[in-house]
Amino acid sequence: MSKKYIRWVAGLALAVVACHGALAQGTTKIGFHAGLTGPAAADGNAALAAAKLAVEQTNATGGVNGKKLELVVYDDQGKPEQAVPGANRIIGDGVRAVISAGFSSPSRAAAPVFQKAQIPYLAAIAFAPEITRTGNYMFRVTSVGEVQGRAAAKVIGSALHKKRVVLLTIKTDFGKTLAAGFKEAAPKFGLDLVKEYEYAPSDRQFGPLIASIKADNPEVIYATGFYFTAGPLVAQLRSAGVTADIVGAESLSSQQYIDIAGQAAEGTVITNVIDWGSQLPEVVGFLKAYEAATKTKAEAVSASTHAALTMLIAAMRKANSDEPAKIRAALETTEAMTAIGRISFNKLHEVKKSFPTSIVRDGRWQRFGSVDDPVLLAPPEQ
Amino acid sequence: MSLILNLTAQGLINGAIYALIAIGLAMVFGLLRVLHIAHAGMFALGGYLGLVITNATGSFALGLVGSMIAVAVCGMVMYRLCYEPILDQPPYVPLIASVGMFLAIEEMLRLVFGDHGLSYRVPPLAGAITVAGMRIKFAELAVLVMAIILLSALGLFATRTRIGMAWRATVSEPRMAASCGISLRKVRFLNFAIGSAFAAAAGVMVGVLNNLVEPSMGAVPSYKALAIIVLGGLGSMGGTLIASLLLGLIEAFGATYLANLLDRDSIAFAAMLCVLLVKPEGLFSGPKNQRSLLERLQLKGAAQWALTKRPS
Repeated sequence: MSKKYIRWVAGLALAVVACHGALAQGTTKIGFHAGLTGPAAADGNAALAAAKLAVEQTNATGGVNGKKLELVVYDDQGKPEQAVPGANRIIGDGVRAVISAGFSSPSRAAAPVFQKAQIPYLAAIAFAPEITRTGNYMFRVTSVGEVQGRAAAKVIGSALHKKRVVLLTIKTDFGKTLAAGFKEAAPKFGLDLVKEYEYAPSDRQFGPLIASIKADNPEVIYATGFYFTAGPLVAQLRSAGVTADIVGAESLSSQQYIDIAGQAAEGTVITNVIDWGSQLPEVVGFLKAYEAATKTKAEAVSASTHAALTMLIAAMRKANSDEPAKIRAALETTEAMTAIGRISFNKLHEVKKSFPTSIVRDGRWQRFGSVDDPVLLAPPEQ
Repeated sequence: MSLILNLTAQGLINGAIYALIAIGLAMVFGLLRVLHIAHAGMFALGGYLGLVITNATGSFALGLVGSMIAVAVCGMVMYRLCYEPILDQPPYVPLIASVGMFLAIEEMLRLVFGDHGLSYRVPPLAGAITVAGMRIKFAELAVLVMAIILLSALGLFATRTRIGMAWRATVSEPRMAASCGISLRKVRFLNFAIGSAFAAAAGVMVGVLNNLVEPSMGAVPSYKALAIIVLGGLGSMGGTLIASLLLGLIEAFGATYLANLLDRDSIAFAAMLCVLLVKPEGLFSGPKNQRSLLERLQLKGAAQWALTKRPS
C-alpha cells in the first residue's frame, strides 16, 4: 500500500517538475499528429517535414511572443484507434494548439478529444466534414471536397473550354465529395456528364475501365485519386490511345505522379494548393526552403501543413498570448499570407481560399492559372 | 463489339497474372496443406527486386531473371526457417506464422525502399501494337507470353521428368513416395522455389504494367489468390489455372457492367462464397464427392478440409 503511494507521489512530483521545466525554458508546445508509419506514411512524413520547417523558420526569427516553439509529434499510424490515445497523450504534454496532418478518419476521431480539452485544432489535410462541426475549437486549412470539385468544373468549362466529361472517381470520402461538388457545378459551366465510374483505392490495373471509357469517347476525364492510382491510370489511358484531357485534384501534386506516369502525365491539369508560378515571397520562400530541407519538391500536403502553422503563429501573435482560448478567438479573425496564398476562416471555421491550377509540362508541375471565385468557392457555413 | 473484345483481352491479361500468383499458392497447399499467405510477400519482393536490378543495370531481362532467382532462394529460406520447424503443429500455427511473415516483408520493403514506392527510370517494354482495333501494350503481351511459357514449362516438368513425377507422387501419396526413396524435403524445397519464382515473375510484370512498386502491392493478391485456389478446388493445378482466367474475365466485365452493384475486389469473394455453398470441394476438384448437398452444407466443406486434412 505505502509503496503504491510513494510511486504516485514520485510520479506527481516528476510531472510537476516536467511542467515547470517547460515553462522555465519559455517554449510554447504545439502538437502535431499524422500517420508517420503504415500506409499514410508518405503524406505524413512530407507534412512533418513542412511542420518542422515552419517551426525552425519561426524560431530562427525569435519565436512567437518571445517564446520558442516546440513541436510535440505523435504517430497516428493512419488509424482512428491510435489517434485518440495519442491525442490524450499530447494534451498531457501541455500543448497549446494542435496541427493535424492526419487523414480524415484519425482526425475525425481525435477532434472531439481536443474540443473537450479546449485546445485549438487545425486540420491541414483531413476532408471529413464532421471535423469542423465538432465544435468551436476546430479549424480546417484545406478546402472540403465539394469546393474543390466545383473549382474543377470551372477549370474544364472556362479554362479548357471542353464539354463532354467522364467522371472517374476514387471510392474514398475525398473522391466522393469531389464528385458531388463537380456534379453540382457542372451545369453552370455547360458540362455534359457522359458517364461516371468509380474505382477502389487498391486498383492499379484499369484495363476494363479504360476499354469502356474509350467507347464513351469523352473530351475530358475528371480523374480523382492519388499519385499511386492516377499515375498508373493515366499511363494506361494514354497507351490505350485515349487522348482526352486529364483533370485531377490536389492529391496528384507530388512529383511521384509524374515519375510514375512519365510522358503520359504531360498536360494533366489539377486544382492545386501550390501556385508554382507565384511571385509572392511567402509561397516562393516556402517552396525553396522545403526543397532545400528535404531534397524533394513540395506537394499539397506539405504546403497545407505549413500554411496551418503559419495561420496558428499569426493568431498567436495577434492574441499576444499562447492561451488556447485566446488563440482560438484570434484564429477566427486572422487573415494571413501563407504558402498556399492569402487565407482566412468562415463562420464554420472552414478555410476561404482560391485554387491555383497546375499543369504538367516538361516533366514537372507548372503554373496553369487560378480559380478565384469567392461565390463558387464559398465553403459550407453550417 | 470492340468493347467486348477489349474487355476479354484485358480479362485474360489480368487472369494470366492471377494464374502466375495463384499457382504457387496452390502448389504449397497441395503439398503441405498450409495457406501460404506470405506468398504475396514474395510477389511484392519480386516486383521490387526486378525494378531495383533493372534500374541499376539498365537490363530488364537481367532484372526479371535475377528477381526470379533471388526470390526462389528467399522462398526456400522461408520454408526452411518459417515452416519446416512447425509443420507438425496444428494447421493454424503455420497459417499465423505465414501472416506474420507477410507483414514483416511488407514493412521491410517500406523501411528499405521508402513509403512512396519506386518507379522504373526507363519503363521497359514501352509501346503498343494494334490488334483487331485494340491497342495492346507490349508489357501486356509479355504477361500473356510469359504465363504461357512458364505454366507450360511447369506442366511438362511435372509430367515428363523424373523429378516432376516424384513431386506429383509426393503430393498424392507422401508416405508411399517417401518409402520409394523420394526425399520429401527436397521436393518441398523445389516446390517453394518454383512457386516463389512464379510469384516474382508476376510481381515484376505488375511493376512494369503500373510502372510502380509499393510496399503494400501484395495486399490484394494475398486474399484474391486465396479465393482463386478455393474456386479452383484447393491444391488442383488445372483448376487454379481455369479459376484464375475465369476470375480475370468476370472482373473485367463486372467492373464495367456491375460497377454500381459490386466492387471489383468483392467479385472474387462473391464467387468464392457461391462455390463454397454449392460445391464446397471447389469447381474443378478431381474425383467427385459422393456426399449429398445437405451433408456438404453442414460445414464439411473446403474450409474444414483445408484446416484438418494434412497428409504431410
